[in-house]
Order: sequence, then C-alpha cells, then structure tokens
Amino acid sequence: MATPQQLQLLAPLSGVLMALDQVPDPVFAGRIIGDGLCIDPTSSTLCAPLAGVVSDVQASGHALTITSDAGVQVLMHIGLDTVNLAGKGFIRRVEAGQRVAAGQALIDFDADYIALHARSLLTLMLVVSGEPFDSLVGSTGLLEVGQPVLDVGVGVSPGENPAAAQGDAVFSQPINLPNPNGLHARPAAVFAQAAKAFSATIHLHRLQAQANAKSLVAIMALQTAQGDSVQVSAEGDDAEAAVEALTRLLTEGCGEAVTAPAPVEVVAAEMPNILRGVCASPGSALGQVMQIVEATLMVTEFGAEPPVEREALSQALIEADMALQHLRDTASGEAQAEIFRAHQELLADPSLLDQAQALIDEGKSAAFAWQTSTEATAAMFRSLGNALLAERAADLADVGQRVLKLILGVHEQTLELADDTILIADQLTPSQTAGLDTRKVLGFATVGGGATSHVAILARACGLPAICGMPMQMLTLDNGTRVLLDADKGELQLHPDAESIDQLRTRRAQQRQRHQQELAQASEAACTRDGQHIEVTANVASQSETAQAMELGANGVGLLRSEFLYLDRQQAPSHDEQVATYSAIARTIGPAHNLVVRTLDVGGDKPLAYVPMDSESNPFLGLRGIRLCLERPQLLREQFRAILACSALTRLHIMLPMVTHLAELRLARQILEQEAQVLGLTHLPKLGIMIEVPAVALMADVLAPHVDFFSIGTNDLTQYTLAMDRDHPRLASQADSFHPAVLRLIAMTVKAAHVHGKWVGVCGAMASERLAVPLLLGLGVDELSVSVPLIPAIKSAVRELNLADCRIIAEQVSNLESAGDVRDALQRFHEVKVDGSPVMEN
Amino acid sequence: MFDKLQQAFWKALTPDLVPDEVKVAADPVAGLSAEIVAALGGVDNLKSQQPVALTRVRVALHDEARVDRQALSVAGVAGVMPLGDGVLHLITGLRAQG
Repeated sequence: MATPQQLQLLAPLSGVLMALDQVPDPVFAGRIIGDGLCIDPTSSTLCAPLAGVVSDVQASGHALTITSDAGVQVLMHIGLDTVNLAGKGFIRRVEAGQRVAAGQALIDFDADYIALHARSLLTLMLVVSGEPFDSLVGSTGLLEVGQPVLDVGVGVSPGENPAAAQGDAVFSQPINLPNPNGLHARPAAVFAQAAKAFSATIHLHRLQAQANAKSLVAIMALQTAQGDSVQVSAEGDDAEAAVEALTRLLTEGCGEAVTAPAPVEVVAAEMPNILRGVCASPGSALGQVMQIVEATLMVTEFGAEPPVEREALSQALIEADMALQHLRDTASGEAQAEIFRAHQELLADPSLLDQAQALIDEGKSAAFAWQTSTEATAAMFRSLGNALLAERAADLADVGQRVLKLILGVHEQTLELADDTILIADQLTPSQTAGLDTRKVLGFATVGGGATSHVAILARACGLPAICGMPMQMLTLDNGTRVLLDADKGELQLHPDAESIDQLRTRRAQQRQRHQQELAQASEAACTRDGQHIEVTANVASQSETAQAMELGANGVGLLRSEFLYLDRQQAPSHDEQVATYSAIARTIGPAHNLVVRTLDVGGDKPLAYVPMDSESNPFLGLRGIRLCLERPQLLREQFRAILACSALTRLHIMLPMVTHLAELRLARQILEQEAQVLGLTHLPKLGIMIEVPAVALMADVLAPHVDFFSIGTNDLTQYTLAMDRDHPRLASQADSFHPAVLRLIAMTVKAAHVHGKWVGVCGAMASERLAVPLLLGLGVDELSVSVPLIPAIKSAVRELNLADCRIIAEQVSNLESAGDVRDALQRFHEVKVDGSPVMEN
Repeated sequence: MFDKLQQAFWKALTPDLVPDEVKVAADPVAGLSAEIVAALGGVDNLKSQQPVALTRVRVALHDEARVDRQALSVAGVAGVMPLGDGVLHLITGLRAQG
C-alpha cells in the first residue's frame, strides 16, 4: 500500500450542510454511490472541489465527476431527481475531458427554476472512488464556497481484486433499459454496487462502447437512454451468476420505482386501473392475464474446434427449417404461413451464414457466432430508418432465437393456457404465437409494435382484439389478473367491476345488431339527417376488392392503389396487362361512379426491383410518389396510357401522390395531355392531387385552380405534420390524425377547394374511423374513401348526423390542444348526438 | 329540438373547453412563524410565499432591503438565497414528507 497522502476537497457551493443520513433519497443516504456531504445551496455556481479532469458530464447537466491525477473521483449531483429536468435550468461551463483547477466554475444553475420544478435542490458531493476521508466541518452549519471541507486519504483505494480469472466471457441477452432516463447516477450506482459483489470482471456494453460495470462513472459515461439495448458480459469464476443477477437487475430497473417489481405493494398502488395503448385490431374481450416472457439464454463466447461448432450450427439450422416448415403447413391462416415462409428465407440468407462461419473460424462458439451475426444484421436493418426493414429485424430476432435455442438445447415450453386468456408481452414474435391455442386466446396487449407489427396482423387475421404501445408497467401484472381489453378505446382495464363487464356485454350485443342493420342498409345512399349527400367510396388494390366494395354499397373507388400492378415482380407490367386490369376494375364500377386511380406511389421505402434507386438515408423524405415518376417519366407515361384506355368505361379520375410543388402537377398534366392526344381522346379524365405534404395543404388556394379535386392522405399528412413515424413503437400512439394541427390543414384545404368549386376527399385511415366522420363532414369534406369492410358502417355513421352539428363540433375541436382532447370531445359529441340519450353531466 | 340538443352537447363539452382555473388565494403568512414574518419586514412587505423543494420557502417581497438577516437566523432560518426581484429562498430544513 502506498503511503497515504492528504487531498483537501473544497466546498463546491455556499449553503447549509445536511447530514448524508438525512437526505431523503435512499441511494444517497445509504452511501451506495459513495460517502461525502450534502449541501443545500445558497449560491448558484457549482465549483470544482479539487483539481483534475472532468471525466463525465451528464448530458442533462445536473451531475459531473472530476478525477484527480491520483485517481480520486468526486461526483457532484445537483438536486434530487433533477435528471427529469432534462438539462433545463443548468448551464455547463466545462466539457468532458477538460482539465479544471480547484475552485473553477463548472455548472451554473437557475436555483429558482429548479426549486419550482424538481424535487429538491439538495446537492451531493461524493467520493465515488471510495477513499476514506476526515470531515473538516461539522454535520450542520453554513459553508462558504471554496472552504476546505474534507481531507481525503490518497492511495488508500479499496480497489477491486485484479486477479480476475482468465476465461471465456459470458454474455447476456440484449436488455432494453426500462429506466426513463437511462442509467443515470442512481440506477448506475445500484448496478455498480451489485456488480462489485462478484469477483468476475464484468462489463456493460452499449453498441460498440463498453464500461467496467463496477465503476459508477464508467457506467454513467455510456450515456444510456431509455430503450437502449445493453448487454452484460462477465469473465471469471462467478461469471454466469453475475450475468444472471445483473441481467435481472437491469430488467427490473436497478431500483428505480417505475418498473421495480420487488416491492409488490408499491407497484400495485402505482398501477393505474386503466392502461392505455393504441388499437392494433378492433374489438373487446374479458379475460385473464397471461404474461409471455422470452427466456434469457446464456451464451459462451468461445467454442470447441471450428468443425464441431460448424456442425452444431448447421444441425440447428436444419432443425429450425424443419420446424418452420411444420409451422407453415399447420398455420391457421395465410398471413401466418407467409411469415414462416419469410423466416425460412432468412435462415438461408448467405450473408448471415458467412458472418457466423467467419466467427466460428476465429474460435467462437456456434451460439455466439450465430447470435452475433443475427443481432448485427438486425441492428443494421433497424438503423436504416425504414419501417419494412425494421419489421424484418423483428423477424430476424425471432428466427435467431429459434436457432439459438436449438444450438443450446433449450426446449420450447408449450404454454399451458387457461380459457379466456389475454396475452401480455413486451413484443410477441410469430414463433411465440404460432403454437398457441387460439381458441383459448381472446386478445393481445403488447408494449412494442405498431399497426403493422406481427401481433397486429395475426390478431386481425384471427379477428381478435389487440392493443400495442402499452406502458412497460403492464409487464408486471400477475398472471391470472382479470382484465377487460377494449381495443376500440385502446384500453386495458384491470379488475373490471360487474358494471363494466355488463356494459361490455351490452355493447357487444349492440354492435352485432348494429352491424347487421348496417349491412341491410348498405346499398342506401349516405345522406345526413339534414339532407347532405356524402360520397362513401372504397380504397382498393385489386379487381376482387373492387367487386366486394361495390357489393357493400360503395359509391365507386376513391383510391385505387396502382402499386399492386408493380410490386413483387422482376419487370414492369406490360401495357396490355395494365389495360386489362384497369379495364376490369372500371367495368366493375361502371359509368355511374368515380374511379380514382392513384399513379404509382413507390420510393425508397418500397423499392421496385426493376426501378433501380440509390438507397436513401431517409426514404420518407426522398424520391417517393410523383417525385420518382417525374424522375423516370417513361414509367408515368406508360401508366397514363394504360389508365386512359379505360376512360370510356367509368367516371375516370387520376390522382398524383406526394405532390409538393405546382410545377410537378403541371409536368404531369402535360404528359397526360400528350398521351390523350396520341390516343385521340377529346375528353380528358379529371386530374387531382393527394394532400399529404403539409406544403400543399398550406398552398391549397394556389393549387386549387389547377386541379379537379383534392384527396387528403391523412396518414402521410399526419406523419409529415407531426414529424412522427406512425410505425415508431414509442411514437405510434402520438402520431394521431386527430391532432388539431392536422385538422387545421384539412380545413384549409377544403376551404381553398370550395372557393374554386373543387371537391375534396379523404382517403387516409382517418376516413375509416367512425369517430372521425362528424369531424370530417364538419370540416366540409365531400367524399370519404374507406377500407372495404367498413363501407356499411361509415355510411350508417353519416346517416346518423346533422351537418349543422358537425360544423359546430369541427370548429370547436380545431381549437383544442391535443389529439387526445379532440378524441374526448368527439366521444362526448357521439354520446350526446348519436346515442340519443343526452348525457347531462354535472 | 335542435336547441335542446345543442345545449346538452355544449354542457357535455364545457369541461374540456373551459379549464377550471381556480386560483387559490393563498394566505401570504400561513406556515411562516411570526418571527420570520417580522424579520422579512412584516406582513405588508410579503407579496407571496410558497414552500418549495422539500427544504425551502420561496418568498416574494416588496422591498428586499427591509429583511433582517440576523433576525431570520435567530428565527430558525438556516440560510437565505437572494434571487433578485425581491425573491428569496429561505432554507428552513426538511419538512415532513407525505
């Protein structure tokens, strides 16, 4: 042991001392991070208590560590729970890596703002490197900034056992951090403390970065955030136990109350009675909770001889392929079989195998090699910012897990399901759901996933209700808890009372009855009570869908997605093929109704094999829709020619997607006129544009004289207006077309169109939502183009309304502040106006 | 009929459209001892007071110059943090939580 030297720490602030034991925060009071002192500040600039290097400044600016040349580390943490302020009220005056002198100003803070917005201003100065110290001041009293407060013994570091055994590192599964602010000081301290209990060398990994898991500062320097995927690795005697314990700790939130399941009473008290998410598949069900948890697999990095490991991998791949084939053959529906076919293809992917083989040749185990290559590829898929590829990442993770279990000899446990089960999971993978007895499952609720996730597809295919985007705390519900899943409202109600259950039953009966009534009246016109006729048309992508739509009472087709002619093939469709398809659809609709054909709407997010495109870093802001078509005018020219061939068969309309500038419309019209001239047509079809880009909604008055109609694509308009991907697992619930900003753009578009005598349709998902009908009518929309099965319901919704009422509600809700408020107001409107019995509240 | 419905509908909407902003007319002296109030220059000098951040009372004064620091200290205020515009934080120690 080196001769102890003394290092004096200076008071970082003026203020009133408080004994550490009294600090109302168990982590600080329990000295889990380190021992030191607590000051209730009366000055508002944090100054360096010692000379050294700033080794870590939290991005939110409320905490900072200084390491002296002798290795003494001192953490300063301003306030309690100030991490929640996300940097507001703090101004950093130093950067990580910067050398500072004792007494130098480090962070300025707005004491009044913090006092009003955070739990406390109590500021901690802690010796986190663990050296013992003598206090030069009492435990209470006033301090002046710069005054010597602690004498630290240097060179008496307790240190850790450096003789960690050399061996293979054991890796945990990736863990998604549940902590709302990542591993900030408090959870990081709990984690480091737990890691210190093991003799193994332990690391925490995030992407390429890794940190010594026993060092609080190193963990904080990883700057993790909620949802980050981290891994624990350990090397040494108790490595497996360490990985297991630390994995559990991370999953449970490292002592942060939000997700910690340990104090059950607390969780029960905090769990609201109703959990909210987004509807992924409509309907409702009453049942009991069954949690589905993916088992944590232990993977050893190094393996036996490469040939042995290679054999293990190929054996597992063969078995997995056979299992998938069996699942395909026995799948309950087309959609599910498709998913497993895709999984089989992934298994045969050569690049995946190459990566794994290369790792095995380096001496890694089959399991490690396979896990690494699937995870790396999945991460790459995710990083491309493309919803479809991100979905494939989920598939890859699923199939990766399947093979991994086979390599490790972990057997799938078939879940014993009780009757009336509501499945709860972070994310349900196709493999997890494949073996389930769907007769016993009444619905799904998941934390991850959006409207395009597998659970949504599966649920819709089985006709079961499902909600996604649920809060994490749902995962702490006990199995067997009685719940009422109301997917229509996006709610999961815990321990429903008899009244709610009765209401559900009554509502179901009413729904059934209403559905039958709607079907019976499907062919009647959709007129409001005060006599306004509304065109209810269909969104279709094939001739058979068109026929079905007309049967269900559609007033024509408001959106024909012409992409179906182009996707999933190696060559562009021939002219004859296109003409035959458009003509068949036009004949089905007939001359009395509209057919609105949207020209090819593809781009980097849904590429075509025969239209080579450079990959784009952000396809949704790239060459999509009309932009791509004008880039390759021949494609558009050929499509116009084919569409024009059916102009005598129906009331033909052509619609251009993703228009941003008037010039795009002019160019397209020019091409259309040229093609019409070639065909000798005197009568041109109507030409309109989609309103998807906020720019055209704002410029609608300039564009209106040049178009025959507008059709609002609410999905894209919402995503571009709110700057939120509607498939983003965490943002999906906020990317709501009912946002007043979107409503105002719709109102603007309608107003501009009507001034010039043009009509406006809505063909986005919003038009298919019953709740939106009064709103859209009130905003002045002339046509609703809806998904085929919902035509009777939307027509019936129109018949229940008075246009005059709709105008009032539409104007009112446009002034509300959020989509949630708009939905609430519309729900009230619906209760008062439509369900007949006025609710006289309060 | 229409009027009646409209009325019902308005009534149903009102809770959303008119947020109730019931400003609690806070007693400027409540919770502060007479000694502290006197040291702050008396009731007349006190614009508002509000317990904040577990250990503090945030007071807004008309005239900061009338504060008697010595008397505050005697009255049990461990520290004073002046924040400008007549706003002070009095550090009075941990309040019972709950």
